[in-house]
Amino acid sequence: MIDQFLLGLGVVLQPHILMYAFIGVFIGQLIGVLPGIGAITAISLLLPVTFYLDATTSMIMLAGIYYGSQYGGSIASILLNLPGTPSSVVTCLEGYPLSKSNRGGLALFVAALSSFAGGMVGVAILVLAAIPMTIIALRFGAPEYAMLVILGLLAASLIGTGSQIRSFAMVVLGIALGLVGADQTTGYYRFVAIPELADGISLVSLAMGLFGVSEIIRNAAVRSTPGRVMSIRMRDVIPTRAEARTLGLPILRGSSIGSFFGALPGTGAAIASFMAYAIEKRVSRTPEKFGTGHLPGLAGPESANNAAAQTGFIPTLTLGIPGDAVMALIIGALILNGIIPGPRLMVDQPELFWGVIASFFVGNIILLLINIPLIRLWVLLLRIPYQKLYPVIIVMICVGVYSHRTSVTDVVLTLAFGILGYVMKNYRFEPAPVLLGFVLGPLLEDNFRRAMLIYRGDFTVFVTRPISAILVTCSVVLVVFAIRSSIKARRKTARVLS
Amino acid sequence: MQGVDQVQPSIAKRASSGGVLLLIGLIILVVAWNYPVGKLTQMGPGFIPRVVGFVICALAAAIIAIDLSAPSHARGEKMHWRGLIFVSAAILIFASVVDRVGLVPSMFLAVAVSMLADFDARPLNILVYATLATLGGWLLFVVALELPIPAFWR
Repeated sequence: MIDQFLLGLGVVLQPHILMYAFIGVFIGQLIGVLPGIGAITAISLLLPVTFYLDATTSMIMLAGIYYGSQYGGSIASILLNLPGTPSSVVTCLEGYPLSKSNRGGLALFVAALSSFAGGMVGVAILVLAAIPMTIIALRFGAPEYAMLVILGLLAASLIGTGSQIRSFAMVVLGIALGLVGADQTTGYYRFVAIPELADGISLVSLAMGLFGVSEIIRNAAVRSTPGRVMSIRMRDVIPTRAEARTLGLPILRGSSIGSFFGALPGTGAAIASFMAYAIEKRVSRTPEKFGTGHLPGLAGPESANNAAAQTGFIPTLTLGIPGDAVMALIIGALILNGIIPGPRLMVDQPELFWGVIASFFVGNIILLLINIPLIRLWVLLLRIPYQKLYPVIIVMICVGVYSHRTSVTDVVLTLAFGILGYVMKNYRFEPAPVLLGFVLGPLLEDNFRRAMLIYRGDFTVFVTRPISAILVTCSVVLVVFAIRSSIKARRKTARVLS
Repeated sequence: MQGVDQVQPSIAKRASSGGVLLLIGLIILVVAWNYPVGKLTQMGPGFIPRVVGFVICALAAAIIAIDLSAPSHARGEKMHWRGLIFVSAAILIFASVVDRVGLVPSMFLAVAVSMLADFDARPLNILVYATLATLGGWLLFVVALELPIPAFWR
């Protein structure tokens, strides 16, 4: 394990790869700071660029954007009360009161430190889990893969906020979009309305439309005044000894919670940070201090979302099953680079596999080092109004999509998905599950058909094979739990209203 | 306007969200109806599309039922017509001219048109900003990344 990690470190420390790791985490932190642009948008913007890089470098860069944005997200939360990423919503609760009482510098420092600690714990667990997980994954057959995809899709729609049935409907809609094009086994054309669709819908178009264009449509014509950014005094950045002592346990708890939810397919950094906050509040001896700038309430969630951002790569790298929409994009980038994600990745491409993991180690160190010194740059960025930003993003989307396959149709499709994403959200449907369904759908169809072919249409195979049986049990438990809690919630609202 | 008493939206409005989804499900079923379905042991290309179509219809029906029975719901947002129109126009113009006039003029047009969505944009502002953004785009895409797209008409 140590040997493999050192092999990976050797890959990352080559100057040109190190440069792309730096670019990745820097862009990640940047877009995390800017509210309105998330990791999904940034990664889909950079997908076309990765065709000019090799697979290892592009993975390292795209992954850097993802976990870098977790660091950046807390900056806008603390200084402006504007969460830059979904997982930094809870950071506002304690971070903004701190910066209102002129202790923003301290909040930023604690956030950066907890993020770093959480990220490192996440990386350590990833390194420890990688080999055992791959050994298990190598024994996966078609039924296990099919069940794992189903479990992941169920978890993504049932856990978390928002209407569960609506999220699940969007997952299925994503699967439907993934059907467009030639059938993988027979080559039969499905839903090919125009000849350009024969190769299927491009992931780049779908992602940029659903997340980039739709957000611009929503925000372009909204008058906004940039918020007042709190001033920072660099002198009072370092916590006192007594304050530092209160941080250890929250960071430890947050990292463990984050590592768990990150590794679970379908849940990720956002859920992890909410859970960590709730748990900190419950175990605290002074729960009344929460909401007034209480440091443990900042440290716990911050370490949780960063740990989750790292352990989220466990299912992605060892099984080839993305846990959330961002991971789905990263998997998509691998496939576009001609690499089949899955348990063979570690065996066949050890440089890529361990290089990417070691890059997380290096990336977290870079992020910690650039976070505080560049704080003036981030504060400056927060003053840019959205109205100056969106025309540039539109151009980047247009050029990015067009250059991918030199296809005008793709550009028009991107707009169509943008309008779809916009209308969907007006109807209270979330776009992220669509992307997950789109990437996982073909995997599900392929493995389900293969399982049925091999086991002659015998459904019992899903419960007689041990690993598959465990996955079925998890899925059933998840569904039962979700139905029970939604019935309970419904009774509660009915009681309140009657 | 917030604060105004929430009036129950009409039944048609409340059902519209699931209704659109039902329509999508039906379209999938109609289009995929003639695809060879095959047997469970030897699925044809039409098997999964049909399953997906039925599942979407079922979920849509459930969503309609929930939306109609639920006592109250947050009303959908109002449409952002201005953003929708100018963002769409910018992308469509880019798509229709990039083949003929090359990257740089298309980028200029896309920035300029999309800026019209902003209430506060003035003609001179647009001209200056679009020029600057195009220059930046040219440096990034043509000079730095060397994309294989002609910068000006061929």
